[in-house]
Amino acid sequence: MERSFAREIESLRLGEGEEFFGEGILAVTKALLQSGVSYVGGYQGAPISHLIDVMVQAAPQMSELGIHVEPCTNEASAAAMLGASIMYPVRGAVTWKSIVGTNVAADALSNLSSPGVIGGALIVIGEDYGEGASVIQERTHAYAMKSAIWLMDPRPDLETIVKCTEQAFELSEASNTPVMMELRIRACHVQGSFTAKDNIAPDISMQHLMENPAPHNYMQLSHPPVTFSQEKQKYEQRMPAAREFIQRAGLNEWVAGQHDNVGIVVQGGVHNALMRALAELNLVNTDGAPDIPLLILNVVYPLVPDEIVGFAKDKQAILIVEEGQPEYIEHEVGSILRRAAVDIKLAGKDLLPMAGEYRSEVLLDGVVAFTTAYLPTAGNLLASNDYPAEVAALKQQAGRLLQRAVPPRPPGFCTGCPERPFFAALKMTEKQIGKVHYSADIGCHSFATFAPFNFGNSILGFGMSLASNAGVKSFQAKRPLAVMGDGGFWHNGLLSGVTSRLMNGGDGVLVIMKNGYTSATGTQELISSPDVQLKKASEEKSATHGESTIEDALKGVGVKWLRTVHTYKVDKMRKTLLDAFQSPFSGLKVIVAEGECQLERQRRIRPIRAKALKNGKRVVRTRFGVDESTCTGDHSCMRLSGCPTLTLKTSDNPLKTDPVAHVTNECVGCGLCGEVAHAATLCPSFWRAEIVSNPNWWDRFIARCNRWLTGGVVA
Amino acid sequence: MSEQGKASETPVRILITALGGQGGGTLMNWLVSAARASGYRVQATSVPGVAQRTGSTSYYLEVAGSNYEGVFNLVPMPARVDVVVCSELMEAARVIEAGLVSPELTTLIASDHRVYSTAEKIDLADGRFDVESIAHAAHRLSRHCHLLDLQKVAGDHGTYISATLFGAVAASGALPWDISASRSVLAGGAQSASIDGFDAAAALLTKGDAPAEADAQPAATTLEQLIAYATAELIEYQDDAYAELYHTRLSSICTLDSVSGEIKEEVARRLANWMMYEDIPRVADLKTRRERYAQIKQECGLQPGQTVRITEYLKPRAEEIADMLPVKMAQRILRRVESGKSLPLLGKGRRIPSNSAWGYWMLRGTAAMKKFRRRSYRFQQEQSEIESWITALQTCVTGSEKFALALASLPRLRKGYSDTLQRGVAAYDSIFQSMVTVALKNKEFDAAAQVLQDSIKAALADDQHVKLTESIVQFRSKASLQMSSTLQET
Repeated sequence: MERSFAREIESLRLGEGEEFFGEGILAVTKALLQSGVSYVGGYQGAPISHLIDVMVQAAPQMSELGIHVEPCTNEASAAAMLGASIMYPVRGAVTWKSIVGTNVAADALSNLSSPGVIGGALIVIGEDYGEGASVIQERTHAYAMKSAIWLMDPRPDLETIVKCTEQAFELSEASNTPVMMELRIRACHVQGSFTAKDNIAPDISMQHLMENPAPHNYMQLSHPPVTFSQEKQKYEQRMPAAREFIQRAGLNEWVAGQHDNVGIVVQGGVHNALMRALAELNLVNTDGAPDIPLLILNVVYPLVPDEIVGFAKDKQAILIVEEGQPEYIEHEVGSILRRAAVDIKLAGKDLLPMAGEYRSEVLLDGVVAFTTAYLPTAGNLLASNDYPAEVAALKQQAGRLLQRAVPPRPPGFCTGCPERPFFAALKMTEKQIGKVHYSADIGCHSFATFAPFNFGNSILGFGMSLASNAGVKSFQAKRPLAVMGDGGFWHNGLLSGVTSRLMNGGDGVLVIMKNGYTSATGTQELISSPDVQLKKASEEKSATHGESTIEDALKGVGVKWLRTVHTYKVDKMRKTLLDAFQSPFSGLKVIVAEGECQLERQRRIRPIRAKALKNGKRVVRTRFGVDESTCTGDHSCMRLSGCPTLTLKTSDNPLKTDPVAHVTNECVGCGLCGEVAHAATLCPSFWRAEIVSNPNWWDRFIARCNRWLTGGVVA
Repeated sequence: MSEQGKASETPVRILITALGGQGGGTLMNWLVSAARASGYRVQATSVPGVAQRTGSTSYYLEVAGSNYEGVFNLVPMPARVDVVVCSELMEAARVIEAGLVSPELTTLIASDHRVYSTAEKIDLADGRFDVESIAHAAHRLSRHCHLLDLQKVAGDHGTYISATLFGAVAASGALPWDISASRSVLAGGAQSASIDGFDAAAALLTKGDAPAEADAQPAATTLEQLIAYATAELIEYQDDAYAELYHTRLSSICTLDSVSGEIKEEVARRLANWMMYEDIPRVADLKTRRERYAQIKQECGLQPGQTVRITEYLKPRAEEIADMLPVKMAQRILRRVESGKSLPLLGKGRRIPSNSAWGYWMLRGTAAMKKFRRRSYRFQQEQSEIESWITALQTCVTGSEKFALALASLPRLRKGYSDTLQRGVAAYDSIFQSMVTVALKNKEFDAAAQVLQDSIKAALADDQHVKLTESIVQFRSKASLQMSSTLQET
């Protein structure tokens, strides 16, 4: 795992009245412990990866309380885990990244929400929306509505997040319905404080076992005929119960303000950005409270009609601040007001943008438009606010001074990443046989969609690359290529891709990047991760080399053409790819591109080396370099690599105007530069240096001989 | 701690931008600790996402007095950030471009070293962002601006840039607490290198950043120095007579008074590079120079007591061998290559241990083959092309300065080895044979100058020659000339 939370985990033990300071995700974990959960699970992915990491690393502490921790193989298995709460009075929580994770979990969610739950069931949603998001921009809100799962969107401060986590279980139990709590990226990572409570050991748990399973109760099965009555229950019993609880517990917050003929209804998660926009417009008083009344929705589904009507009825206009599309809340508020015959102006997406993150500067424009129309006394003053003009002028001036647009800097492969050489080999293969349709997937390898590789004709979802080119292959002259990682393979690539292709006897080429971990989310473990013994035995070598779970699975389902190639053997990889594209064998061809994640490898190597160096043992460090004198500055090598340590340098030779290639000392000596120089017949400028610390007598003898025999030139 | 501030004050807003892996998160945590230790309320957040790997990341903090009752924002607002800390110069440009640095408000602290982005690196010529325009914008658009090489300070003190950035921001006076409160955050840790880096950065900032910027500018090379450098290298490359030939060729252009210094310099540079084309003996010679071994050891940071083995990755093909041989033999080999055959033992990658005695002497032996260079196939080819270029320059140099300058820079395209060189030569040939020949024939230099300049740019735009093909097709259709297509073959 990429990050250690050893120090943070200690704060999970804090008791009543002590101050907790830390990250949002960690606060949620603490709140789960304070709520007496019996089991937790989930599937990693930004922005909730750390929640999984904390849970896994804190498993020993959690088992003291009797809590079972299960990192699942995908979100569907995590959602299905909540099924325990259908029949038993136990609390459970799972987590994943949304929207993609919720999509994967959708089937289990329907089956969970239809019968409803007895024990509190909470899903912590990492709402990957806005700046920094890595997925399609859609809202989890849609799932809440279609499955009748309640959705919380707490204000992004730790006190509120923790309170909502605890009350989510109560809400769930009061209304027999699972609850989702969405946290946006910055809320997941926000650092702040709250006052802790004691942890609660659950009554039923791995420490307190039940003698007998629950009795068979057909009413709790999501199976006809009871599904019809369950649908009615959702709206006739569970939703009214939820609304009653939301009101009773005061989950939503009504903040009064002096301009009470207007009001703003805002999602809890967007509240802080709105407040800052109001402050910029001088619509916040000296106590830090807003001048315009606010209804802060910490629960965004279901809405409580009485609250909405109560807030709106004596006003002329209200503004709904609802991030993302479409405007579900605005529609619902509209229905509520019409049904109650409250005839006021409803503003929302007519004044605010339909799509995109609601940052303060965006909200400011909307608030100005709203107040100008409906709060003329204050609004006319605000209309003269020159903030937008100030920002526009600043950006314009910056653009002029910088002279050109700042080039993007998307994430890329790490130094020494074993996936990079595969893409260099593929680039060379395409030079020989031309472009092929490339179905990309999710994972570190999707960085190959960026420069310098620019691969990929489509991305269809995690583990979906092979499945997605089933249609394409029917009309392609050349065999299409699908690339997926080992994470994607186990997430669903084996089933939706491999077995489907095999069943249809279809042609095609699949490459599985076997680096041993779900690296893009923080190197969490997979079923095929090298075990401790294998890692120990491999020492500095790639530990994925001796691991064959993926190959065994492929053989088991009937893959006949299967090759495992170490990615650093660039020329061998190129030849294997050529073979796959040109072989007369017409079935599925799978190349397992093996090479352990360099982050994990380096994490293992560093202490081994440090110890050896300390003990005066012989240690060899390898790095590459470029001869400035022979480099001509064409940068072909960079177009085949993109390694962070292979970079540019102004030449010392005054005759050269173009910068030459240069390797920085962070080089881990992965060997790609040399392999590519050979495989692509690039140039003779690369050198490899093996630096021997604590050399033995033979090393020293050879060095002395070489010095003497060359007249001291190589000294 | 006494109570601070008003309920509705504006918090101090701090934005950190960094590259994944540079420790932006560490810096954020240190600032949080310092703020808390000084009795402030603080909130911090970040967008690490998947950007932790080398991509741009940002971290945002808000700090207010203990009496503050307003909310903390999670996202920086343009023109409303008090302190901006950037771990790299182009990341500072990115923040400035987004309007987050304000001349009214912002103290900007950035390390002025460069970590080049992929977009800059893969350029076929020089795609680096202009650092002077960034420095200019940074000074113009911020209230206080400190551009310092904090990466170097970190390296000098065996620590990471997070520590030196922390030292610089702590010393800038932009934080509400004093520097000792920041420093004591590090004092609790086990890393004394962090404290050294912190102190050095703080001292550098207090001293002022002017000197650091000054030595970033190397002195410009004069034409005389350039020619002297080229002459010495040419003698090494071949002999005195070859250097003499360089001067003869150069003087046929440069002695004309009307020729601008810019053209002279360009011709001096391109001619020297061209005359010292990289063949096998040249590469072997450059790889066995005494100063090269010293350079490698310095780059590796070799310590006393350590030994090093150096390996060269060479892959000579039949074509490169043919280049060294007399014309007839070379042509025979090249015919063989064209029919799909090669020579025995060639076309395979060779790893030569160049600091072993045998590797060294083998390379020296190869370097000594420069004796036969004058009779070699490639020498004949290159010299005849050089002569055509010089002749063309002589024709146009008095006619159009702009055209002559573009033509003088045309050999810039001839660089690299094997496929890369072939691509460059193909681009050179197609431009020379279409645009240059036509311009020389019609004596219409002024009109052709822009086209020539644009097509050189096009040739360097992509390595598939997509842009160049477009520009040549356009030229041909304009000139409605029927010319044999040399480019399509590439």
